[in-house]
Amino acid sequence: MKHLTAINRKAKRVEEYIAVNEEEDDVFALQQGPPQQRPHYPVGCSLVFSPGWEVDVTGGTAGLCQPVERDLYDCYISCYWPAQVPDHLNNYPDWTSKCANATKDWRKIDLVFP
Amino acid sequence: MQITKALVAVVFSLVLFFCWANVSVQPQAQGAGQAAKAGDDGLPVNNALVVQKCASCHKKDDKGRLTRISYERLSPEGWQQAIKRMVRLNGLSLTPEDARAIVKYLGTYHGLAPEEAKPAMYYAEHRLQEETVPDESVRTACTVCHTYGRIISQRRNKEEWDLLVNMHVGYFPVVEFQGFRRFPPPPDAPPPPPGTDTRHPADRAVEYLSKNFPLQTPEWSAWSANMRAPKLAGRWLLSGYQIGRGRVYGEVIIEPTGVEDEFTTKTKIQYLKDGATITRNGRSIVYAGYSWRGRSFNDKGKTADANAAVTTTTDAAELREVMFVSRDWSQIEGRWFWGDYEEFGLDVSLRRVSSEPLVISANQQALKIPATASATESLTLYGANFPADLRAEDIDFGAGVKVKRIANASANAVTVELEIASTAPVGKRDIALRRSFAPGAITLYDKVDYIKINPDNALARLGGVRFPKGYQQFEAIAWQRGADNKPQTADDLNLGPIDVEWSIDEFPSTYDDDDKNYIGTLSPTGFFTPSVEGPNPKRKFERNNYGEVWVVATHKAKDAAPNAKPLTARAYFVVTVPLYVKWDQPEVGR
Repeated sequence: MKHLTAINRKAKRVEEYIAVNEEEDDVFALQQGPPQQRPHYPVGCSLVFSPGWEVDVTGGTAGLCQPVERDLYDCYISCYWPAQVPDHLNNYPDWTSKCANATKDWRKIDLVFP
Repeated sequence: MQITKALVAVVFSLVLFFCWANVSVQPQAQGAGQAAKAGDDGLPVNNALVVQKCASCHKKDDKGRLTRISYERLSPEGWQQAIKRMVRLNGLSLTPEDARAIVKYLGTYHGLAPEEAKPAMYYAEHRLQEETVPDESVRTACTVCHTYGRIISQRRNKEEWDLLVNMHVGYFPVVEFQGFRRFPPPPDAPPPPPGTDTRHPADRAVEYLSKNFPLQTPEWSAWSANMRAPKLAGRWLLSGYQIGRGRVYGEVIIEPTGVEDEFTTKTKIQYLKDGATITRNGRSIVYAGYSWRGRSFNDKGKTADANAAVTTTTDAAELREVMFVSRDWSQIEGRWFWGDYEEFGLDVSLRRVSSEPLVISANQQALKIPATASATESLTLYGANFPADLRAEDIDFGAGVKVKRIANASANAVTVELEIASTAPVGKRDIALRRSFAPGAITLYDKVDYIKINPDNALARLGGVRFPKGYQQFEAIAWQRGADNKPQTADDLNLGPIDVEWSIDEFPSTYDDDDKNYIGTLSPTGFFTPSVEGPNPKRKFERNNYGEVWVVATHKAKDAAPNAKPLTARAYFVVTVPLYVKWDQPEVGR
């Protein structure tokens, strides 16, 4: 609101109201239905967005790598998501030995069971 | 003079360096000299095999305690995972029999008390669970990767929690900036107000965890003194529920194997809605006197239907059982699950059959109260030892419900004709059959006020080419508004599954991504089969078939007016990429 200036009385009253009641969350819609359903993270999902592994920070897939195979080596080499992708550093040094380019050869990599 | 000054400076910096080096190597050194530092709180290892296999690295002290191992308590899965890591990375070599015996010993004598394990059971049961993480530092440092269930199924002393942090830093260095350390403030930021906690999240998490999940607890002292091998052999009645298929009733015969804590099982179950019956044979281990881990097989053999399409009604070749035995050995509760992502499951509750009559379930979950006069309903009750001389007045449903007559009776099932008065109060009813109670087994309701989808947020995984598909079954549940006359409140009554029409709606997170055209298919019974994994050349940026959508259920009552608005509900649903690594410990049930 810093760059907006009230130009009529009604807007001034809104500003005054906000200034006085800043702490209280007491503005409600007239017809408030049941609590609105929002997307949220199912259990076990990673929440760090850079990008996230199975969901992004909004709880969806829009922020994942497109396609996600582009992200595989980054996760693998840096052990970025050891809960989701095998890590190169200690546990699976040979995971991608049959796969030079993940977006093309992803069929050659294995599911691993530590 | 100059030389002396320089010498002093060099000596001084050397002293400083050694002080620093000493501090920085301390965590490692503490591992070896743990007992001396940590006081007398370690648990002695009284098992020759564990000492023989582990003590060459985990040094034994004069009180029989091994470094690391004596200062933590874990679930069976926790120990299994630690042993697998030792084999994978630390050169341990074990036969499967030895590994099994070690996990059994540690999971029992270095395990959790029932009160400690109960809040974390959902993790072992592989349930989709809404988690609340009570501490912000634990959320930042731990649950960015792990579920909270995994963290609370461990107990350690402070030093062990510290060493766990070190292990993560050593094996997965990226965790340092993913959550363990806070980023330094920008150079021009004002200094934090005095008294601000400027410690790193990992350090604060260790403080929280060592305070709330310590090695020694009153629960564990009480349980470890009282623990004994459970005597579970006998006949048990099973009542259960499977999403998409409804109520299940059955019987489990548990037999001893001759080995303490180990049992074989013979199970017969029947789905009450479609009448399908399943027979299974299983085997199980009970850890720490209460923690059941087992698996069972169908009688068709392991590979009989390996190539058939997976659905909710597939009789799994192998299913895993994780259950919690009550302290008096009269009830066992938990989840039986199967599927590559453990996404299919039965919630089960077992009750021991004694010589007394036992009623556990009914073939309907809810009965409608008529608007006027009274209505006659037929209901079948399931149980055991129903007496031959059972009379209508032996069965009680509470106010407003009268048992008119017994239509059909056997020792395990009885069909009754009920008269429900229009004045009967709405609510959950216990079924009483002489002295036996089935608490809340039936609900009386006047009208379906709204419907909800179960689960209301869900995850499926693409697969089918190289990685397995992760499926998802949805169901719609009917609800009554409850005594306060307001829908969506805590007193609302669950009336059980209701028939609906299923559809998928776009969740508008990205313009024109048309997720709903790519993610997979939702069957008329609410069963979702995901598409294949891998880049899809038909999508923009070759993105995968992943996406997020609303799953929508629509119910129109048969007797509703033609212009009446149907009841609808929706669930947020993410279809995402496969897991490329599966941290799972199925061995604990073998």
